[in-house]
Amino acid sequence: SCSRAKDVTMPAKLPVNFFSTKSPVIDLFRGQLDYADQLRQDSEIVLYFFYAPWCGQSIAAREEIEHVASRLSDQVLFVAVNCWWNQGKCRKQKHFFYFPVIHLYHRSFGPIEYKGPMSAVYIEKFVRRVMTPLLYISSRSKLLDFLSNYEPGVVGFFEFNASPQPPGYLTFFTSALHSLKKDYLGTIRFGVVTDKRVAEEISLVHSGSVYLHRHANTSLVYPKDIMNFTAENICKWALENREMLVRWLRPHGGKSLLLNNELKKGPALLIFIPYNPLAEIHPLLDEITKVALEYHKCNKSQAAEPDLQHLGDSDSPAFGSSVTDARLKFSETFPIAKYPCCNTVVLPQWHSISRTHNVCELCVNQTLGVKPNKVHVPHCNFLEIEAALDSFYLQEHTFFQVISNTIECSNFLSFYSPFSYYTACCRTVNRHFLSFISSEKTIFQTPKVAFSSHGKKDNTQFSIPHIEDRNCFIPDLNISSTNITGLSCRTNKTLNLYLLDSNLFWIYAERLGASRSTHLKEFAAIVDLKEEVHYVLDQNQSLVGPTLENFIKNFSVLYSPLKRHLVDDPSVHFHEQHVLTEVTTNTFHQTVFLSAKNVLLLYYAQWCGFCASLNHIFIQLARLLPPDSFTVARIDVTRNDLPWEFMTDRLPTILFFPHQRKEQSVKFPEDFSVNLPNLLKFILRHSSLSSSEPCTKECLHKESVLQQGHISHLEREIQKLRSEIGALHQAHDQLEAQLSEARREEQRLQQQKHTLEKQHKTLQLHSEQLQAIYDQKNQELLEMAEKLQELADASENLLKENALLRILVASRGGKLQSTDKVKEPLQSELTLSEDNDVSLSTATAASEEKRIDNIDTIETEHSSGNRTE
Amino acid sequence: AVMQRFLGPLLCLWALRLPAGTGAAARGLDVASYRERVRAMFYHAYEHYLESAFPYDELRPLTCDGQDTWGSFSLTLIDALDTLLILGNVSEFQRVVNVLQEGVDFDIDVNASVFETNIRVVGGLLSAHLLSRKAGVEVEAGWPCSGPLLRMAEEAARKLLPAFQTPTGMPYGTVNLLHGVNPGETPVTCTAGIGTFIVEFATLSHLTGDPVFEDVARKALKALWKNRSDIGLVGNHIDVITAKWVAQDAGIGAGVDSYFEYLVKGAILLQDKELMSMFLEYNKAIKNYTKFDDWYLWVQMYKGTVSMPVFQSLEAYWPGLQSLIGDVDNAMRTFLNYYTVWKQFGGLPEFYNIPQGYTVDKREGYPLRPELIESAMYLYRATRDPTLLELGRDAVESIEKISKVDCGFATIKDLRDHRLDNRMESFFLAETVKYLYLLFDPDNFIHNDGSDFDVVVTPYGECVLNAGGYIFNTEAHPIDPAALHCCRKRKEEQWEVEDLMREFYSRKKTKKFTLKRAPDHGEGENAKEPEDASSEKAGEKRNSKKRSHSLLSCPSQSFNSKLAVLGQVFLDNT
Repeated sequence: SCSRAKDVTMPAKLPVNFFSTKSPVIDLFRGQLDYADQLRQDSEIVLYFFYAPWCGQSIAAREEIEHVASRLSDQVLFVAVNCWWNQGKCRKQKHFFYFPVIHLYHRSFGPIEYKGPMSAVYIEKFVRRVMTPLLYISSRSKLLDFLSNYEPGVVGFFEFNASPQPPGYLTFFTSALHSLKKDYLGTIRFGVVTDKRVAEEISLVHSGSVYLHRHANTSLVYPKDIMNFTAENICKWALENREMLVRWLRPHGGKSLLLNNELKKGPALLIFIPYNPLAEIHPLLDEITKVALEYHKCNKSQAAEPDLQHLGDSDSPAFGSSVTDARLKFSETFPIAKYPCCNTVVLPQWHSISRTHNVCELCVNQTLGVKPNKVHVPHCNFLEIEAALDSFYLQEHTFFQVISNTIECSNFLSFYSPFSYYTACCRTVNRHFLSFISSEKTIFQTPKVAFSSHGKKDNTQFSIPHIEDRNCFIPDLNISSTNITGLSCRTNKTLNLYLLDSNLFWIYAERLGASRSTHLKEFAAIVDLKEEVHYVLDQNQSLVGPTLENFIKNFSVLYSPLKRHLVDDPSVHFHEQHVLTEVTTNTFHQTVFLSAKNVLLLYYAQWCGFCASLNHIFIQLARLLPPDSFTVARIDVTRNDLPWEFMTDRLPTILFFPHQRKEQSVKFPEDFSVNLPNLLKFILRHSSLSSSEPCTKECLHKESVLQQGHISHLEREIQKLRSEIGALHQAHDQLEAQLSEARREEQRLQQQKHTLEKQHKTLQLHSEQLQAIYDQKNQELLEMAEKLQELADASENLLKENALLRILVASRGGKLQSTDKVKEPLQSELTLSEDNDVSLSTATAASEEKRIDNIDTIETEHSSGNRTE
Repeated sequence: AVMQRFLGPLLCLWALRLPAGTGAAARGLDVASYRERVRAMFYHAYEHYLESAFPYDELRPLTCDGQDTWGSFSLTLIDALDTLLILGNVSEFQRVVNVLQEGVDFDIDVNASVFETNIRVVGGLLSAHLLSRKAGVEVEAGWPCSGPLLRMAEEAARKLLPAFQTPTGMPYGTVNLLHGVNPGETPVTCTAGIGTFIVEFATLSHLTGDPVFEDVARKALKALWKNRSDIGLVGNHIDVITAKWVAQDAGIGAGVDSYFEYLVKGAILLQDKELMSMFLEYNKAIKNYTKFDDWYLWVQMYKGTVSMPVFQSLEAYWPGLQSLIGDVDNAMRTFLNYYTVWKQFGGLPEFYNIPQGYTVDKREGYPLRPELIESAMYLYRATRDPTLLELGRDAVESIEKISKVDCGFATIKDLRDHRLDNRMESFFLAETVKYLYLLFDPDNFIHNDGSDFDVVVTPYGECVLNAGGYIFNTEAHPIDPAALHCCRKRKEEQWEVEDLMREFYSRKKTKKFTLKRAPDHGEGENAKEPEDASSEKAGEKRNSKKRSHSLLSCPSQSFNSKLAVLGQVFLDNT
């Protein structure tokens, strides 16, 4: 059985259900690809989920797919196929390098592979795009909506009144599907216009023309005369010519050079926002796009822009007070000098999940109360608004409870001047609405109406952006607010703008220094790979258009006020035994420069093998040095950035900062081995020497302190030695015990030896006896051999005699033949002698047999003797 | 109950209204639950071994019995011992220590692999010895310089010493534990079988005070170094009598792997520049001749021409090794390549043909090897990249789905159809499970960064131990580097420190302090170095010509490493 067990193998377990039977997903866990193909006939849209049951990613994605399926099961058929089981059709026909693979079919078109994030919302969005690759644009307002989106839009104009299906429509439809194959994030959106009047808005006259909308550059019409009107060509043309003002970065998780390639292009502004692809509106995104558009708007006189503007204006009456459309009203620019003294203030949110804000419009109001004639403030004065804000914040709590859609205003006295009144009008808005309120160069029209309806006389209230970090922002607002437009072309530090979904890629933000505690996952940073620096937008500021603009402007100016951001490790756990001082970015200056001690600083990284194996040496050193005059500190430089001048390019590096000469730090020479004596010598050589000074009272005091330290050190040493003695005693006892045991063992062995010797002796005796027997037997054997030899000789003689007799008989026979009748009685005598001969030969054979038997018994005896020996 | 019935539907409604989840990617992995699953894996295998296979070397999971494979040492038990402690099971650790002390005998007429016995038995016993105090075992007064487990390790190692008696100093591959090298034993040994001793043997020498172990290990390493080819590569097999290369394939995988690993780990453990400079030379040649697109191929050792465009499962230790010396960017790039192979099969085939993108005939198995997981653990320490946890997740799911059987975990015989074989190698519990657990347990004492330590009083003085920086031998047995500075040799250094401390408290600094140079050629020549100030300067000059920085250091990470996570890699600017 032992040898058979070696060859035992077991085939893989049979596949079982991967999805639960209640799931809306059809689970072909035996890989029935043929059946899967049949199923495709039943539904217009089919999603195939090819999985391997052992694959972690498939298991993680299963839940997401089920979620999508539960929402779309009435319109889309979800089929999961086990494409691993080697008996299944799928495995035999398809060869995948990873799992899961998601394929989508729109009727016969497909497969369209989904390569986006394995997250339900993203998958659902993509499936919806496959369901309706073309958006039907029925009206001007819808067209405007479509085009104002931050993602590039392609519009086809097809008149349906002539024939059931206008020529080229199918091609256009296919190209929309086709684009999903290449552009799996679905950044290019396809729309179709059937109304001639709507089409005119984008100067499309002929049915069958295709238009690519661009914001910063001139929009394009598909050149039918140059390129063939095929689905692939349209798709390619759109992809090549689309505008990428601000780009989504969505690393797929596998090995990729995406960030490398993008960041090598130059400094990049990475904006992290939580993004739900299924949401109808993305106010924050719109705001960012607006900033991006301004930033890239190099040439103000453009063909497309007035068009749109016109469209917006002409359509405006149609829009009600709907929040979504409000932005269209704010599209005119006003010179900043005409702004009166108003400011929009966003009250802090009650809790972060809330999607509403209380927004207040705060204005300096000179129409109320006593208005001194001589004081005339034509422009909005920085101090004025500062004072207003201060007063406002004092009264803030009174506005906290406002949760209504109507605007409520109240006046309050200035904190500084009895002559000034401030008016604050507050209302609750959805978060996205914020963007319009606070975006610059817009008139806040809706509130204006409301203000006047409240009977206030100051109906020329305009908003200027309010940034909470007033100190740095407001002074340069006047200069900078006007020149974000087209800044990308004017500066030599052009930024590329990128968006990242913080639901998926927040880790990058954390790496760049985003606070881990924040609930609101919004973050912006400028990364300059070439200069190896990055700047971070203060996380205390809310991420809105104006703060972003300001961030960009600050980066672009010649003497940038931005400071290189140093990432700090907030999760430093202090040592339980407090032996080594752990330094971070924030505590570096304090610990190293401001402390009145000699500091030995170790630069290390947890992953570096050469650092970690030195831990025990530094711990020993720290335990040895007097703690009141020496600090042994270390800094993990992978988690803590330091100013350039304190950085090091190799780890471990050991620096010594002597007391009173902190700027003269010295580096432990790399060529010497890092051990306790060397480190001590290094410190001794470089620590402050006091021997040259003449000894004053102070010096004497120092001396006594020093000696005190020495005494305590020696006491520690004594204690150490005591414990060492203790250990030695223990070891001694242990040794003693071992020794006595060894002695006992020795005795035991001695006894054993004796018994063994006895045994040996008896054995020897036995062997001697056996030898004697052996000799004896040998002797007997020899004798026997001799006897046999004799017998053999005798038989040989007999044989010779026999032969002689035969000759004799033969000669006699010859004679007898001549005289036969006469010698007949003599013949009988001869026969008798022959009989004698036969009996003799049998006797010889018997004796030989006996000899062989004899040898055998001797041999067996001999070998048994061996064994007993 | 009434309350519940009332609340039930309400909760459901609330759940339905929740906005669509942001997906698995965003939620991140539930590290704690995976850690518990790994723990359960360990006990499933370990308990079945004890029940059905002990005292044999290994469990046969399909037939539910045991067999001897590498000797007759209850190998799985020795190998799994320190994993028990890492999982926090102190009582079982103590029990097993007693069982081993009574039950294991090395005076047996068994032909054993010198290499395997060293890494599994000697390494396992050494690490168990060094961890035994932490595990609450009552240790004797001389610990860590003496102890029953240390004596067992020494005994096992002494059984291997006869193999090193060759003209070249390179050991035979097999030795009889009772009779030494068998007459007629083949003199052909693989490179790793020659160069994988320094970690265990140097530790033994430092702990016991007998230099013979470290000496033979060093001699073997130097012999290999002397016999490298002109282009700086070593082959796969060599004749230890004639020093002729028998197999001339050069690469980083099977037959060579742990030689390179031990050069680095030896350099770290012993602060030894010579070993490190050897490795760096090899590293250069390996990059030049075998590296293509972050894969490492096999080449002819003299010509450098590609002989096999193959990735081997055993090669996956390389990224982990690179991360130890600070080459994190390259490590991550290579790791991501290897990870794609795992995604294709649910394991790493012994050989994977890179251009064809498929397994190689007769080499389709996956014996639950640890190497890729090992690299993931090291890299996770360096980058905290969630991708590495994802590999851990995939490994747990695959191993549970594919190879778990009633009696343990079975080797995958063929990754194409997941057929199972009747074997559970001892490294599954020693390495695979250990590295998986450590990947999911960032607060394990093994990851200690020096914020925690023990002070131990020995007859040789006071020692600081367990301060982190554990060096794993190639069978994942951790060695505490601090322990090497604890026994015998310490006295002289202690006296020197005493002198210096006296100097510290005296008012007048009388001496000039000169530092002792790191031993360039092993510690034996340490004493020859003249100790005057001029030598220091001369030394600095001499060294500055050769290199600009110490060999025993890592480069600090570049700026773009901040963003090199979730699969993103950056190309060097150079």
